[in-house]
Amino acid sequence: MKSPQKHVYLFDILANLTAVLVMLFILVALSSIVVKGFPYIGEAFLSEEVRFAVKLSLYTSSVSTLVCLLLAIPTAYAVTKTSLPFKRFFEIIIELPLSLPHIVLGLCLLLIFSSDFGTFLKAHDFKVIFEVNGIISAHIFINLPFVIRIIKTAFMGVDSRLEFAARTLGASKFKMFWRVTLPLSKNAVIGAMILAWSRALGEFGGALMVAGITRMKTETLTANVYLNMATGDVGQALASATILLIISLISLLLFNAFNKQTGLKILCCINT
Amino acid sequence: MIALENFSVNLGQFYLKNINIRVAKGEIFAILGATGAGKTVILEALAGLYTAENGAIYIDQQNVSNTLPEERNLGYVHQDYSLFPHLSVYQNIEFGLKIKKIPKTERLNKVKDISHVLGIEHLLSRYPRTLSGGEQQRTALARALVMNPKILLMDEPFSALDCNTKERMYDMINMIHERYGCTIIFVTHDLHEAKRLADRVAVIQNGELKMICSSCEIQNKDLL
Repeated sequence: MKSPQKHVYLFDILANLTAVLVMLFILVALSSIVVKGFPYIGEAFLSEEVRFAVKLSLYTSSVSTLVCLLLAIPTAYAVTKTSLPFKRFFEIIIELPLSLPHIVLGLCLLLIFSSDFGTFLKAHDFKVIFEVNGIISAHIFINLPFVIRIIKTAFMGVDSRLEFAARTLGASKFKMFWRVTLPLSKNAVIGAMILAWSRALGEFGGALMVAGITRMKTETLTANVYLNMATGDVGQALASATILLIISLISLLLFNAFNKQTGLKILCCINT
Repeated sequence: MIALENFSVNLGQFYLKNINIRVAKGEIFAILGATGAGKTVILEALAGLYTAENGAIYIDQQNVSNTLPEERNLGYVHQDYSLFPHLSVYQNIEFGLKIKKIPKTERLNKVKDISHVLGIEHLLSRYPRTLSGGEQQRTALARALVMNPKILLMDEPFSALDCNTKERMYDMINMIHERYGCTIIFVTHDLHEAKRLADRVAVIQNGELKMICSSCEIQNKDLL
Protein backbone atom coordinates (compact mmCIF):
# COMPACT_ATOMS: atom_id res chain seq x y z
CA MET A 1 0.00 0.00 0.00
CA LYS A 2 1.27 3.47 -0.89
CA SER A 3 1.90 5.71 2.08
CA PRO A 4 0.47 9.22 1.73
CA GLN A 5 2.97 11.71 0.33
CA LYS A 6 4.21 14.17 2.91
CA HIS A 7 4.66 17.75 1.67
CA VAL A 8 7.06 20.17 3.29
CA TYR A 9 5.92 23.78 3.01
CA LEU A 10 8.35 26.67 3.39
CA PHE A 11 5.64 28.77 5.05
CA ASP A 12 5.07 26.07 7.70
CA ILE A 13 8.83 25.90 8.38
CA LEU A 14 9.07 29.69 8.81
CA ALA A 15 5.99 29.75 11.07
CA ASN A 16 7.39 26.93 13.21
CA LEU A 17 10.75 28.67 13.45
CA THR A 18 9.07 31.91 14.56
CA ALA A 19 7.04 30.01 17.17
CA VAL A 20 10.19 28.39 18.54
CA LEU A 21 11.97 31.77 18.73
CA VAL A 22 9.01 33.42 20.49
CA MET A 23 8.68 30.56 22.96
CA LEU A 24 12.46 30.59 23.67
CA PHE A 25 12.47 34.37 24.19
CA ILE A 26 9.63 34.14 26.76
CA LEU A 27 11.12 31.10 28.44
CA VAL A 28 14.60 32.67 28.75
CA ALA A 29 13.19 35.98 30.04
CA LEU A 30 11.06 34.28 32.70
CA SER A 31 13.72 31.72 33.60
CA SER A 32 16.24 34.48 34.24
CA ILE A 33 14.01 35.77 37.05
CA VAL A 34 13.37 32.31 38.47
CA VAL A 35 17.03 31.24 38.33
CA LYS A 36 18.30 34.41 39.98
CA GLY A 37 15.35 34.86 42.37
CA PHE A 38 14.92 31.30 43.61
CA PRO A 39 17.92 31.37 46.02
CA TYR A 40 16.35 34.39 47.78
CA ILE A 41 12.84 32.92 48.16
CA GLY A 42 13.44 31.37 51.59
CA GLU A 43 14.88 34.61 52.87
CA ALA A 44 11.99 36.54 51.30
CA PHE A 45 9.39 34.47 53.13
CA LEU A 46 11.15 35.20 56.43
CA SER A 47 10.69 38.90 55.76
CA GLU A 48 7.56 40.33 57.36
CA GLU A 49 7.32 42.87 54.57
CA VAL A 50 7.16 40.23 51.84
CA ARG A 51 4.63 38.18 53.80
CA PHE A 52 2.53 41.35 54.16
CA ALA A 53 2.83 42.03 50.43
CA VAL A 54 1.79 38.47 49.53
CA LYS A 55 -1.22 38.63 51.87
CA LEU A 56 -2.26 42.09 50.61
CA SER A 57 -1.89 41.01 46.98
CA LEU A 58 -4.00 37.90 47.53
CA TYR A 59 -6.62 39.88 49.48
CA THR A 60 -6.97 42.79 47.03
CA SER A 61 -6.99 40.47 43.98
CA SER A 62 -9.65 38.22 45.52
CA VAL A 63 -11.95 41.06 46.64
CA SER A 64 -11.65 42.92 43.33
CA THR A 65 -12.29 39.73 41.34
CA LEU A 66 -15.42 39.00 43.36
CA VAL A 67 -16.74 42.55 42.86
CA CYS A 68 -15.87 42.36 39.15
CA LEU A 69 -17.90 39.17 38.79
CA LEU A 70 -20.87 40.58 40.70
CA LEU A 71 -20.92 43.63 38.42
CA ALA A 72 -19.94 41.91 35.18
CA ILE A 73 -22.57 39.14 35.16
CA PRO A 74 -25.66 41.42 35.20
CA THR A 75 -23.98 43.92 32.86
CA ALA A 76 -23.08 41.22 30.35
CA TYR A 77 -26.64 39.89 30.59
CA ALA A 78 -28.09 43.37 29.99
CA VAL A 79 -26.03 44.00 26.85
CA THR A 80 -26.58 40.55 25.36
CA LYS A 81 -30.01 39.34 26.43
CA THR A 82 -32.20 42.39 27.01
CA SER A 83 -33.54 45.19 24.86
CA LEU A 84 -31.38 47.79 26.57
CA PRO A 85 -31.62 51.01 24.52
CA PHE A 86 -28.40 52.36 22.96
CA LYS A 87 -26.75 48.97 23.54
CA ARG A 88 -23.85 49.66 21.16
CA PHE A 89 -23.10 52.95 22.94
CA PHE A 90 -23.03 51.10 26.28
CA GLU A 91 -20.66 48.50 24.86
CA ILE A 92 -18.25 51.10 23.48
CA ILE A 93 -18.10 53.03 26.76
CA ILE A 94 -17.72 49.84 28.82
CA GLU A 95 -14.89 48.58 26.61
CA LEU A 96 -13.08 51.90 26.33
CA PRO A 97 -10.81 51.25 29.37
CA LEU A 98 -9.47 48.13 27.61
CA SER A 99 -7.51 50.34 25.23
CA LEU A 100 -6.21 52.80 27.83
CA PRO A 101 -2.95 52.50 29.82
CA HIS A 102 -3.52 51.42 33.42
CA ILE A 103 -1.78 54.51 34.70
CA VAL A 104 -4.36 56.71 32.92
CA LEU A 105 -7.19 54.65 34.42
CA GLY A 106 -5.59 55.12 37.83
CA LEU A 107 -5.43 58.86 37.19
CA CYS A 108 -9.18 58.86 36.39
CA LEU A 109 -9.87 57.19 39.73
CA LEU A 110 -7.55 59.61 41.53
CA LEU A 111 -9.55 62.53 40.12
CA ILE A 112 -12.90 60.95 41.04
CA PHE A 113 -11.88 60.08 44.58
CA SER A 114 -10.18 63.45 45.11
CA SER A 115 -13.41 65.23 44.19
CA ASP A 116 -16.41 66.03 46.39
CA PHE A 117 -17.56 62.46 45.86
CA GLY A 118 -14.32 61.20 47.43
CA THR A 119 -14.73 63.64 50.31
CA PHE A 120 -18.28 62.37 50.82
CA LEU A 121 -17.04 58.75 50.92
CA LYS A 122 -14.24 59.71 53.30
CA ALA A 123 -16.77 61.38 55.60
CA HIS A 124 -18.66 58.05 55.66
CA ASP A 125 -15.53 56.17 56.65
CA PHE A 126 -14.71 54.81 53.19
CA LYS A 127 -11.22 56.05 52.41
CA VAL A 128 -9.78 55.33 48.97
CA ILE A 129 -6.80 57.56 48.25
CA PHE A 130 -3.55 56.05 49.62
CA GLU A 131 -5.56 53.19 51.11
CA VAL A 132 -6.09 49.49 50.37
CA ASN A 133 -9.55 50.42 49.00
CA GLY A 134 -7.69 52.39 46.36
CA ILE A 135 -5.84 49.28 45.18
CA ILE A 136 -9.12 47.33 45.01
CA SER A 137 -10.86 50.19 43.14
CA ALA A 138 -8.04 50.31 40.61
CA HIS A 139 -8.17 46.54 40.09
CA ILE A 140 -11.94 46.68 39.58
CA PHE A 141 -11.77 49.60 37.14
CA ILE A 142 -9.03 47.94 35.11
CA ASN A 143 -10.42 44.39 35.10
CA LEU A 144 -14.17 44.99 34.91
CA PRO A 145 -14.35 45.69 31.14
CA PHE A 146 -12.18 42.67 30.53
CA VAL A 147 -14.39 40.37 32.64
CA ILE A 148 -17.55 41.81 31.05
CA ARG A 149 -16.17 41.08 27.60
CA ILE A 150 -15.38 37.44 28.41
CA ILE A 151 -18.76 36.79 30.04
CA LYS A 152 -20.59 38.69 27.30
CA THR A 153 -18.99 36.46 24.67
CA ALA A 154 -20.08 33.40 26.65
CA PHE A 155 -23.67 34.64 27.03
CA MET A 156 -23.84 35.41 23.32
CA GLY A 157 -22.82 31.81 22.66
CA VAL A 158 -25.79 30.40 24.58
CA ASP A 159 -28.44 29.35 22.08
CA SER A 160 -31.48 31.58 22.50
CA ARG A 161 -33.72 28.62 21.61
CA LEU A 162 -32.58 26.88 24.80
CA GLU A 163 -33.55 29.95 26.77
CA PHE A 164 -36.91 30.11 25.02
CA ALA A 165 -37.41 26.39 25.76
CA ALA A 166 -36.86 27.15 29.45
CA ARG A 167 -39.46 29.94 29.27
CA THR A 168 -42.04 27.63 27.68
CA LEU A 169 -41.41 25.21 30.57
CA GLY A 170 -42.46 27.85 33.07
CA ALA A 171 -39.15 29.53 33.89
CA SER A 172 -39.17 33.27 34.56
CA LYS A 173 -36.35 35.30 33.02
CA PHE A 174 -34.35 35.02 36.22
CA LYS A 175 -34.84 31.24 36.51
CA MET A 176 -34.01 30.86 32.83
CA PHE A 177 -30.79 32.77 33.42
CA TRP A 178 -29.96 30.89 36.63
CA ARG A 179 -30.69 27.40 35.33
CA VAL A 180 -29.76 27.65 31.64
CA THR A 181 -27.70 30.70 30.61
CA LEU A 182 -25.34 30.77 33.59
CA PRO A 183 -24.66 27.00 33.82
CA LEU A 184 -23.94 26.93 30.09
CA SER A 185 -21.47 29.81 30.55
CA LYS A 186 -19.90 28.29 33.66
CA ASN A 187 -16.51 27.55 32.14
CA ALA A 188 -16.16 31.06 30.77
CA VAL A 189 -17.19 32.63 34.08
CA ILE A 190 -14.63 30.54 35.99
CA GLY A 191 -12.00 31.31 33.36
CA ALA A 192 -12.78 35.04 33.57
CA MET A 193 -12.50 34.86 37.34
CA ILE A 194 -9.09 33.19 37.27
CA LEU A 195 -7.73 35.54 34.61
CA ALA A 196 -9.07 38.63 36.40
CA TRP A 197 -7.52 37.41 39.62
CA SER A 198 -4.09 36.86 38.09
CA ARG A 199 -4.26 40.19 36.23
CA ALA A 200 -5.12 41.95 39.49
CA LEU A 201 -2.23 40.21 41.16
CA GLY A 202 0.20 41.64 38.61
CA GLU A 203 -1.39 45.11 38.34
CA PHE A 204 0.84 48.04 39.27
CA GLY A 205 0.32 51.32 37.39
CA GLY A 206 -3.35 51.91 38.22
CA ALA A 207 -3.01 51.04 41.90
CA LEU A 208 0.13 53.20 42.16
CA MET A 209 -1.82 56.28 41.03
CA VAL A 210 -4.66 55.78 43.51
CA ALA A 211 -3.05 54.11 46.51
CA GLY A 212 0.60 55.00 46.10
CA ILE A 213 3.21 52.71 47.68
CA THR A 214 3.49 52.92 51.44
CA ARG A 215 5.57 50.17 53.07
CA MET A 216 3.44 47.73 55.05
CA LYS A 217 0.26 49.61 54.11
CA THR A 218 -0.38 49.61 50.37
CA GLU A 219 2.57 47.44 49.46
CA THR A 220 1.46 44.65 47.13
CA LEU A 221 3.88 42.13 45.60
CA THR A 222 4.35 44.23 42.45
CA ALA A 223 4.88 47.32 44.62
CA ASN A 224 7.39 45.31 46.67
CA VAL A 225 9.35 44.46 43.49
CA TYR A 226 9.37 48.14 42.52
CA LEU A 227 10.39 49.36 45.99
CA ASN A 228 13.20 46.81 46.30
CA MET A 229 14.54 47.65 42.86
CA ALA A 230 14.37 51.36 43.67
CA THR A 231 16.38 50.82 46.87
CA GLY A 232 18.88 48.52 45.15
CA ASP A 233 17.81 45.29 46.88
CA VAL A 234 17.78 43.26 43.68
CA GLY A 235 17.72 39.88 45.46
CA GLN A 236 14.49 40.68 47.30
CA ALA A 237 12.96 42.12 44.13
CA LEU A 238 13.78 38.94 42.23
CA ALA A 239 12.38 36.79 45.03
CA SER A 240 9.08 38.70 45.02
CA ALA A 241 8.96 38.52 41.23
CA THR A 242 9.48 34.73 41.44
CA ILE A 243 6.61 34.41 43.92
CA LEU A 244 4.40 36.40 41.51
CA LEU A 245 5.47 34.18 38.66
CA ILE A 246 4.66 31.00 40.58
CA ILE A 247 1.19 32.31 41.57
CA SER A 248 0.52 33.36 37.95
CA LEU A 249 1.63 29.97 36.67
CA ILE A 250 -0.73 28.20 39.06
CA SER A 251 -3.65 30.44 38.03
CA LEU A 252 -2.88 29.88 34.34
CA LEU A 253 -2.84 26.11 34.87
CA LEU A 254 -6.15 26.38 36.73
CA PHE A 255 -7.56 28.49 33.89
CA ASN A 256 -6.55 25.87 31.34
CA ALA A 257 -8.02 23.08 33.43
CA PHE A 258 -11.41 24.84 33.67
CA ASN A 259 -11.45 25.93 30.05
CA LYS A 260 -10.32 22.99 28.03
CA GLN A 261 -12.97 23.85 25.47
CA THR A 262 -13.79 27.52 25.94
CA GLY A 263 -10.30 28.75 26.77
CA LEU A 264 -9.36 29.41 23.19
CA LYS A 265 -12.51 31.40 22.60
CA ILE A 266 -11.83 33.51 25.68
CA LEU A 267 -8.24 34.21 24.72
CA CYS A 268 -9.46 35.23 21.24
CA CYS A 269 -11.96 37.68 22.68
CA ILE A 270 -9.30 39.22 24.92
CA ASN A 271 -7.12 39.95 21.95
CA THR A 272 -9.75 41.53 19.74
CA MET B 1 -59.95 26.64 21.79
CA ILE B 2 -57.11 28.69 20.33
CA ALA B 3 -57.67 31.62 18.05
CA LEU B 4 -55.42 34.01 16.21
CA GLU B 5 -57.49 37.02 15.20
CA ASN B 6 -56.17 39.46 12.59
CA PHE B 7 -52.78 38.64 14.01
CA SER B 8 -49.76 40.46 12.56
CA VAL B 9 -46.13 40.41 13.62
CA ASN B 10 -43.42 42.67 12.24
CA LEU B 11 -39.94 41.20 12.55
CA GLY B 12 -38.27 43.83 10.40
CA GLN B 13 -37.16 41.56 7.57
CA PHE B 14 -40.26 39.41 7.82
CA TYR B 15 -43.89 40.37 8.15
CA LEU B 16 -46.64 37.99 9.25
CA LYS B 17 -49.85 39.53 7.93
CA ASN B 18 -53.34 39.37 9.28
CA ILE B 19 -53.54 35.71 10.30
CA ASN B 20 -56.94 34.29 11.28
CA ILE B 21 -56.86 30.73 12.59
CA ARG B 22 -59.20 28.92 15.00
CA VAL B 23 -58.20 25.56 16.41
CA ALA B 24 -60.81 23.53 18.30
CA LYS B 25 -60.10 21.83 21.61
CA GLY B 26 -58.57 18.38 21.10
CA GLU B 27 -57.87 18.99 17.41
CA ILE B 28 -54.61 18.10 15.62
CA PHE B 29 -53.85 21.08 13.43
CA ALA B 30 -51.03 21.41 10.90
CA ILE B 31 -49.46 24.63 9.67
CA LEU B 32 -48.07 23.81 6.26
CA GLY B 33 -45.78 25.87 4.06
CA ALA B 34 -42.43 26.17 2.38
CA THR B 35 -39.25 27.20 4.21
CA GLY B 36 -39.41 30.88 5.18
CA ALA B 37 -43.20 31.07 4.80
CA GLY B 38 -43.70 32.10 8.43
CA LYS B 39 -44.92 28.83 9.97
CA THR B 40 -42.49 28.87 12.90
CA VAL B 41 -43.21 32.56 13.56
CA ILE B 42 -46.89 31.65 14.12
CA LEU B 43 -45.92 28.88 16.53
CA GLU B 44 -43.43 31.09 18.39
CA ALA B 45 -46.00 33.89 18.58
CA LEU B 46 -48.49 31.42 20.09
CA ALA B 47 -45.85 30.48 22.66
CA GLY B 48 -45.27 34.16 23.49
CA LEU B 49 -41.97 34.95 21.84
CA TYR B 50 -43.29 37.90 19.81
CA THR B 51 -45.55 40.81 20.57
CA ALA B 52 -48.37 41.33 18.09
CA GLU B 53 -48.29 44.43 15.94
CA ASN B 54 -52.03 44.00 15.35
CA GLY B 55 -54.67 41.53 16.42
CA ALA B 56 -54.73 39.11 19.33
CA ILE B 57 -54.25 35.53 20.45
CA TYR B 58 -57.02 33.85 22.45
CA ILE B 59 -56.73 30.65 24.46
CA ASP B 60 -60.05 29.46 25.89
CA GLN B 61 -61.62 32.86 25.15
CA GLN B 62 -58.91 34.66 27.12
CA ASN B 63 -56.73 37.21 25.39
CA VAL B 64 -53.18 36.02 26.04
CA SER B 65 -51.44 38.44 23.66
CA ASN B 66 -49.58 40.07 26.55
CA THR B 67 -49.19 36.96 28.68
CA LEU B 68 -45.60 35.88 29.33
CA PRO B 69 -44.45 32.58 27.73
CA GLU B 70 -44.01 30.95 31.16
CA GLU B 71 -47.64 31.69 32.04
CA ARG B 72 -49.28 30.29 28.90
CA ASN B 73 -49.11 26.60 29.90
CA LEU B 74 -48.21 25.47 26.40
CA GLY B 75 -45.91 22.58 25.59
CA TYR B 76 -43.35 23.40 22.91
CA VAL B 77 -41.19 20.95 20.99
CA HIS B 78 -38.50 22.74 19.00
CA GLN B 79 -37.33 21.73 15.56
CA ASP B 80 -33.86 20.87 16.86
CA TYR B 81 -35.42 19.66 20.16
CA SER B 82 -33.41 22.25 22.18
CA LEU B 83 -32.58 19.85 24.98
CA PHE B 84 -30.44 21.40 27.69
CA PRO B 85 -26.96 20.00 27.00
CA HIS B 86 -25.76 20.39 30.60
CA LEU B 87 -28.62 18.30 31.99
CA SER B 88 -29.28 14.57 31.76
CA VAL B 89 -32.43 13.24 30.10
CA TYR B 90 -34.01 12.88 33.55
CA GLN B 91 -33.07 16.45 34.50
CA ASN B 92 -34.33 17.74 31.14
CA ILE B 93 -37.74 16.15 31.66
CA GLU B 94 -37.80 17.24 35.29
CA PHE B 95 -36.86 20.84 34.44
CA GLY B 96 -40.35 22.36 34.27
CA LEU B 97 -41.58 20.41 37.30
CA LYS B 98 -38.66 21.71 39.34
CA ILE B 99 -39.41 25.26 38.23
CA LYS B 100 -43.00 24.75 39.44
CA LYS B 101 -41.61 23.50 42.78
CA ILE B 102 -43.33 20.10 42.52
CA PRO B 103 -42.13 17.85 45.41
CA LYS B 104 -39.25 15.51 44.60
CA THR B 105 -41.15 12.20 44.88
CA GLU B 106 -43.97 13.51 42.71
CA ARG B 107 -41.43 14.71 40.16
CA LEU B 108 -39.78 11.31 40.13
CA ASN B 109 -43.11 9.55 39.55
CA LYS B 110 -44.15 11.92 36.78
CA VAL B 111 -40.80 11.61 34.98
CA LYS B 112 -40.92 7.80 35.28
CA ASP B 113 -44.52 7.69 33.98
CA ILE B 114 -43.92 9.84 30.93
CA SER B 115 -40.61 8.19 30.09
CA HIS B 116 -42.36 4.80 30.29
CA VAL B 117 -45.10 5.98 27.92
CA LEU B 118 -42.52 7.28 25.43
CA GLY B 119 -40.16 4.34 25.86
CA ILE B 120 -37.15 6.32 27.07
CA GLU B 121 -36.86 4.90 30.60
CA HIS B 122 -33.46 3.40 29.76
CA LEU B 123 -32.11 6.80 28.65
CA LEU B 124 -32.79 8.80 31.81
CA SER B 125 -29.17 8.96 32.98
CA ARG B 126 -27.77 9.83 29.55
CA TYR B 127 -26.94 13.29 28.22
CA PRO B 128 -28.54 14.76 25.06
CA ARG B 129 -25.32 14.67 23.01
CA THR B 130 -25.28 10.87 23.31
CA LEU B 131 -28.85 10.40 21.97
CA SER B 132 -30.01 9.66 18.45
CA GLY B 133 -32.44 12.01 16.68
CA GLY B 134 -35.45 9.86 17.56
CA GLU B 135 -34.39 9.59 21.20
CA GLN B 136 -33.88 13.35 21.44
CA GLN B 137 -37.29 13.82 19.89
CA ARG B 138 -38.98 11.61 22.45
CA THR B 139 -37.09 13.33 25.27
CA ALA B 140 -38.24 16.73 24.04
CA LEU B 141 -41.80 15.41 23.82
CA ALA B 142 -41.56 13.98 27.34
CA ARG B 143 -40.21 17.30 28.65
CA ALA B 144 -43.19 19.14 27.17
CA LEU B 145 -45.86 16.54 28.05
CA VAL B 146 -44.79 16.06 31.67
CA MET B 147 -46.09 19.57 32.33
CA ASN B 148 -49.55 18.37 31.28
CA PRO B 149 -50.08 21.20 28.78
CA LYS B 150 -53.50 21.93 27.31
CA ILE B 151 -51.86 22.67 23.99
CA LEU B 152 -48.80 21.04 22.45
CA LEU B 153 -46.90 23.05 19.83
CA MET B 154 -44.38 21.23 17.65
CA ASP B 155 -42.04 22.89 15.18
CA GLU B 156 -41.12 20.57 12.29
CA PRO B 157 -40.90 17.73 14.81
CA PHE B 158 -40.07 14.99 12.33
CA SER B 159 -37.89 16.78 9.80
CA ALA B 160 -34.60 15.36 11.09
CA LEU B 161 -35.81 11.77 11.37
CA ASP B 162 -35.46 8.87 8.94
CA CYS B 163 -38.60 7.34 7.32
CA ASN B 164 -38.96 4.40 9.73
CA THR B 165 -38.51 6.55 12.83
CA LYS B 166 -40.96 9.08 11.38
CA GLU B 167 -43.65 6.40 10.98
CA ARG B 168 -43.11 5.27 14.59
CA MET B 169 -43.30 8.87 15.78
CA TYR B 170 -46.58 9.45 13.87
CA ASP B 171 -48.10 6.53 15.78
CA MET B 172 -46.66 7.89 19.00
CA ILE B 173 -48.21 11.32 18.40
CA ASN B 174 -51.60 9.70 17.80
CA MET B 175 -51.18 7.68 20.99
CA ILE B 176 -50.23 10.82 22.95
CA HIS B 177 -53.22 12.66 21.52
CA GLU B 178 -55.58 9.88 22.58
CA ARG B 179 -54.00 9.44 25.98
CA TYR B 180 -53.55 13.08 27.03
CA GLY B 181 -56.33 14.65 24.95
CA CYS B 182 -54.34 17.81 24.34
CA THR B 183 -54.74 20.05 21.34
CA ILE B 184 -51.77 19.65 18.99
CA ILE B 185 -50.56 22.30 16.58
CA PHE B 186 -47.56 21.37 14.50
CA VAL B 187 -45.59 23.00 11.74
CA THR B 188 -44.44 21.06 8.70
CA HIS B 189 -43.39 21.49 5.10
CA ASP B 190 -44.37 17.89 4.31
CA LEU B 191 -47.82 17.44 2.78
CA HIS B 192 -47.82 13.69 3.51
CA GLU B 193 -47.09 14.39 7.18
CA ALA B 194 -49.92 16.92 7.41
CA LYS B 195 -52.36 14.51 5.74
CA ARG B 196 -51.19 11.62 7.90
CA LEU B 197 -51.53 13.36 11.26
CA ALA B 198 -53.71 16.46 11.15
CA ASP B 199 -57.48 16.93 11.23
CA ARG B 200 -57.16 20.28 9.48
CA VAL B 201 -54.37 22.13 7.71
CA ALA B 202 -53.54 25.83 7.31
CA VAL B 203 -51.38 26.73 4.33
CA ILE B 204 -49.01 29.68 4.84
CA GLN B 205 -47.24 31.52 2.04
CA ASN B 206 -44.94 34.53 2.39
CA GLY B 207 -46.30 35.42 5.80
CA GLU B 208 -49.96 35.19 4.69
CA LEU B 209 -52.62 32.60 5.35
CA LYS B 210 -53.55 31.10 2.00
CA MET B 211 -56.21 28.61 3.04
CA ILE B 212 -57.52 26.36 5.81
CA CYS B 213 -59.08 23.04 4.94
CA SER B 214 -59.56 19.48 6.08
CA SER B 215 -56.42 17.37 5.70
CA CYS B 216 -58.31 15.04 3.35
CA GLU B 217 -59.04 17.87 0.94
CA ILE B 218 -55.59 19.35 0.66
CA GLN B 219 -53.60 18.67 -2.50
CA ASN B 220 -50.17 19.43 -3.87
CA LYS B 221 -51.46 22.27 -6.03
CA ASP B 222 -52.64 24.13 -2.92
CA LEU B 223 -49.04 24.60 -1.91
CA LEU B 224 -48.03 26.31 -5.16
